[in-house]
Amino acid sequence: MNSKEKNKRFWLSLDDLKNSLSFAKAKENEFAEGMTDNFNPEDMPSHSRRKFLALAGASAAFAATACTNYRDKGEIIPYNKKPDDLTIGTASYYASTCTGCSNGCGILIKTREGRPIKIDGNPDHPVNKGKICAAGQANILNLYDPERLKEPHSGANGKFKFDNWKNIDNKINVALNNASANNKEIAIITHSVLSPTQKKLFDDFKIKYPTTKIYSYELFDDRTRQSAWKQCYGESEFPVINWGDANVILSLESDILGKEGNFVEQIRLFAAKRNVDDAKNFNRLYVAEGGMSLTGMNSDHRLRIKPDAQFEFVMCLLNEILNVRKAGTISFGPLAKSKIEQYLLNEFAQKEKLSMSVLNSLVNDLISNKGKSIIYAGDILAEKVHVAVNLLNEVFGNNTLYNKERSSVKHLDLSANEEIEQLIGSMYSGNVGVVIHFDTNPVYHFAPDYGYSTALNKVPVVVTMCEHENETSLKSHFALPVHHNFESWGDFQTRTGLYSLQQPVIAPLYNTRQKESVLLHWLSGSVENYSEDGYHQYLMKNWEQYIYPQLSVASDFRTFWFAALNDGVVNYKSVVQGIGLFNYNKIENLIYSYWQPAYQHGKSNFTSPVISVVTAESDASKKSEFSESLGLVLMLTGNYTIGDGRFANNGWLQELPHPVSKVTWDNYAAISLNTSKQLNVKIGDNVDINANGKKMTIPVMIQPGMADNLVSIELGYGRKSAGTVGSNVGFDGIQFLSKKNSSAKLLKDFTLSKGSGKYKFASTQEHHAINEPEVMDYHKKRHIVQEGTVAAFIKNPDFFRESKPKAEDISIMNRVQYKGTKWAMAIDLNKCVGCGICVTACNVENNVPVVGKDQVMVGREMHWIRIDRYYSDSPVEPETSNQPILCMHCDDAPCENVCPVVATNHSPDGLNQMVYNRCVGTRYCSNNCPYKVRRFNFYNFRNHFEDGYYHKDSLSLMHNPEVTVRSRGVMEKCTFCVQRIMEARQEAIKNGVPLKGTDVKTACQEACPADAITFGDAHEKDSQIDYIRNHKLGYHVLEELNIKPNVTYIARLRNKATEVKS
Amino acid sequence: MKKTVLDYALKVRLPVTVFVILLSFTLTFFISRPERDGIGYAPVQPIKFSHKLHAGMMKIDCQYCHTGVEKGRFATVPTASICMNCHSIARKDKPEIIKLAGYFNSGKAIPWKRVHRVPDYAYFNHSVHVNKGIDCKNCHGDVARMEVVSQVHSFTMGSCLNCHRNAHQKMPELARQIKNGPDNCNACHR
Repeated sequence: MNSKEKNKRFWLSLDDLKNSLSFAKAKENEFAEGMTDNFNPEDMPSHSRRKFLALAGASAAFAATACTNYRDKGEIIPYNKKPDDLTIGTASYYASTCTGCSNGCGILIKTREGRPIKIDGNPDHPVNKGKICAAGQANILNLYDPERLKEPHSGANGKFKFDNWKNIDNKINVALNNASANNKEIAIITHSVLSPTQKKLFDDFKIKYPTTKIYSYELFDDRTRQSAWKQCYGESEFPVINWGDANVILSLESDILGKEGNFVEQIRLFAAKRNVDDAKNFNRLYVAEGGMSLTGMNSDHRLRIKPDAQFEFVMCLLNEILNVRKAGTISFGPLAKSKIEQYLLNEFAQKEKLSMSVLNSLVNDLISNKGKSIIYAGDILAEKVHVAVNLLNEVFGNNTLYNKERSSVKHLDLSANEEIEQLIGSMYSGNVGVVIHFDTNPVYHFAPDYGYSTALNKVPVVVTMCEHENETSLKSHFALPVHHNFESWGDFQTRTGLYSLQQPVIAPLYNTRQKESVLLHWLSGSVENYSEDGYHQYLMKNWEQYIYPQLSVASDFRTFWFAALNDGVVNYKSVVQGIGLFNYNKIENLIYSYWQPAYQHGKSNFTSPVISVVTAESDASKKSEFSESLGLVLMLTGNYTIGDGRFANNGWLQELPHPVSKVTWDNYAAISLNTSKQLNVKIGDNVDINANGKKMTIPVMIQPGMADNLVSIELGYGRKSAGTVGSNVGFDGIQFLSKKNSSAKLLKDFTLSKGSGKYKFASTQEHHAINEPEVMDYHKKRHIVQEGTVAAFIKNPDFFRESKPKAEDISIMNRVQYKGTKWAMAIDLNKCVGCGICVTACNVENNVPVVGKDQVMVGREMHWIRIDRYYSDSPVEPETSNQPILCMHCDDAPCENVCPVVATNHSPDGLNQMVYNRCVGTRYCSNNCPYKVRRFNFYNFRNHFEDGYYHKDSLSLMHNPEVTVRSRGVMEKCTFCVQRIMEARQEAIKNGVPLKGTDVKTACQEACPADAITFGDAHEKDSQIDYIRNHKLGYHVLEELNIKPNVTYIARLRNKATEVKS
Repeated sequence: MKKTVLDYALKVRLPVTVFVILLSFTLTFFISRPERDGIGYAPVQPIKFSHKLHAGMMKIDCQYCHTGVEKGRFATVPTASICMNCHSIARKDKPEIIKLAGYFNSGKAIPWKRVHRVPDYAYFNHSVHVNKGIDCKNCHGDVARMEVVSQVHSFTMGSCLNCHRNAHQKMPELARQIKNGPDNCNACHR
């Protein structure tokens, strides 16, 4: 580490960087300002604590003196006949498939006494290998959501009344028969079809009702990628990429580690190449993007390029490699060549203000890693960028990284915009008899200029199947409640060579039906004898007749079927014979046609766009305004937590901090620091955006690392009818989408101006910040985040240790000598990408409550593990570092010394224990914790949030019965999942073997897709944790305090290209 | 000096009152203690099941019915179907068995009254104790001699710790096999 790196300053926000006084003060205080304000016990719903204590004292005195009879201890109700595979108090696990998005990951559902309580990935699933995203983890809350639609409803104009299934079936059967008799269309609108059996069901439905048409759509789709593959290789199915074999990855505006593709798999494969013991083989991640994404945060080199400049960038790379470096094996005809030759990398760099040394090292890396690198374009980019990227990958021979056996599978094409338009046209002209929304919400999802909502008024029968009431169900005649994921049967095929199965793990909680079952029942034509088991039988029959024979399995069908259900997945030898040949001739012509006549060498296009801004602070009427001519781009992108809005009513996900900005419960318009200066706005100021005839006022977030002149808004927020939790959270960017534009998510035709008013974000960014003052004495400087480079590490593996300040081992306390087991954790910061999946897993495992936006604002979020995000270097192009912080279970824990009632103390196996029923809520411990990881229950948050929303009956089924549900007035914090330690101990005693450290997996460790977390017994020789604790790159946060924390961090090594000067 | 009413109240009435209150409190506290701890609690059960007959005279192993005891936290009260393993044939004509069969056939659960209870915030685990060889009797008393099960020992934290800290005195027969139990908070509370 050179002295410059040593003095590198890490900052949490722009306020921090500027050394703003208020933030400096906030860092010094344990509680954020206002955290303990306005806390009036009198306002609380039930008794105040004082009153409670008085009552408790009085009743204790009465109870002690009064000679009452024995207290009744209640009853124990055993089963009448116990299911065979169930032991009370022991969890059962069932393999199934998640239906939260179109990735179809395999999941393992943990149930206790028949209640699902925790979701993890299915370790046998070859794609997600035991890991699942945050939404998948939190999906359990959707099952028990008190606002699920519980009964079928019928009505119109948003006014509904309870109805029974039989009545509704009757009416719909009549409507379906009428429609097909009168040659009126029956439209079924579904999300992408991933299930072969569902596809068959649709086909059967079409046979029975021939006027049926199936439409499928996704808010976030990969249609541009598909069409580019069709252009290049003749097939729109694209292969899976072997990310784990890539030495160099160039990601173009694609969040491969955050939200695009199967990012859980991508994180795992990416992180596997970040093993510090194999530092020579580190992959190198280049990210060229405009928005600041999770992938960008983890890049080794980041290039700020606006999304509309990506095509130029790829072409410049192509030209540089083919014509300047002469490194390619192919050559184009003179026509295409003449065009390609005009894309000059150095001029592009000048124009976009990119570092030439980074670009040179990128080109060098790509050339020297031919066949071992991958260039990947984001879903949001236009087809031509994808074509150019495919070409570039071919030029480098990177097609070796395409998995020949696994490719995407399409059961049904996503509908083109024209098809949807046609449907809406016939709806208006009265040619549509019935519309069935197959658990979809097009009123919210469709671009407003379709006029879908009004078109629905012209349809005589609109049916919406949904779990929750939503925007579309309110416009329907029938709202039919459907089963949750965990109550349903199904099969999925998302890739060739693989099926995964879905099975119910709990009987339906309400009067719901599986959506496929409903169709199947209508198919039968009779309203009588609805069978809950219908779709299960249909599924099995389809497998027995069509799928099982193709698999050529040795066992008989029933054996095979039960084995498949047990495993959750069926692997088979894929019959797909690789991918088609790259069509050079066609692509050459395409590239030629892509060439923009306006694009001319050295001409005005190459001068950087001058943004003239009318700065009129005093004159409010003369607002500063940007427009297209100034090169402004609006990017509508995906969000990290709530999917396409379907998880909006999930408090856990709404409260999960955004991995980059750490904002909860909101979205915003992200802009760069420079753009904000030109626009004269600060964080939280409202701006007005006008696009496609729609106007929206949205607050801005100044995002370090954003490209200038780019506005980015995440979609999925701003739902109007999502339920108590999810309605009116954030701002709805979908209204800017347009049917006319195939790549509608990149807008140039819009105006942006400063609005009036301010908005307050609930950001956890500056909460629980660790003080890092610029102290004069260098050796005392707190090295909270410590980093190095791969080159330095390879040169001298001890460089980190040598540079570490030596702390004197003195303590005012008597050091406890730990014998036997001593629990410890290690977090590899090379692998951690900061996705936040661990936070959600911890929430579910440990019954962590949702507190709500108002409480997050005053710093009362309850997460036991948080991910601190630090920026370093300039706020325009920062480097970012992630650091998960949880209770360190310090040997000499400062919290323990100050508790007046010894509610927190140390166990002999090294755990810092927190005893809730002893805690009286002085908060001294929290005050004394240097890591700021203790969380205080200012309220009974379940009761406090939205008038007891999470206190309703159904929610109590969800809680982990092995963990206390904490109430008001007690402190809590990470326990190292002591319930799991105890379970492992129980098993060890049962089997008569000693407890091993590897027997325990904490919830965060189990969930971490990057395998960054290690947990175990520090005293176990030759164990992984013992090795990491003594690793050359290992360090403790705030080591100099000498409190002996037990979470070891492995310093992050950045794989900087050597030729790039830092 | 003139004696005032206040003097009288302070010097005589107050000490006497305080003494009487303290005495009555102390006496009732100690006298009612077993009752508060539940010792001697023997509720009337929905079916007059006799442990004395089954466990004592017929020597049926505890685990034949309490199947969960070595598998997990809960010993589990047997399901009606376990009773019916024998009683679908044995003593079918007795009134209590008819009652049992009634529950079984109607699919209703038998609402057994709970005798032993540790609070929800204590995560007691049967299997770790039983698998270490600790006899049920140590906590539950000699159930095999009880016509109606009643609580014999106190189930307070003090009684747990009493044994955890003096395991060898309490269970000399296991002195070679077991060590003292853990006495840290997380052993039971989490």
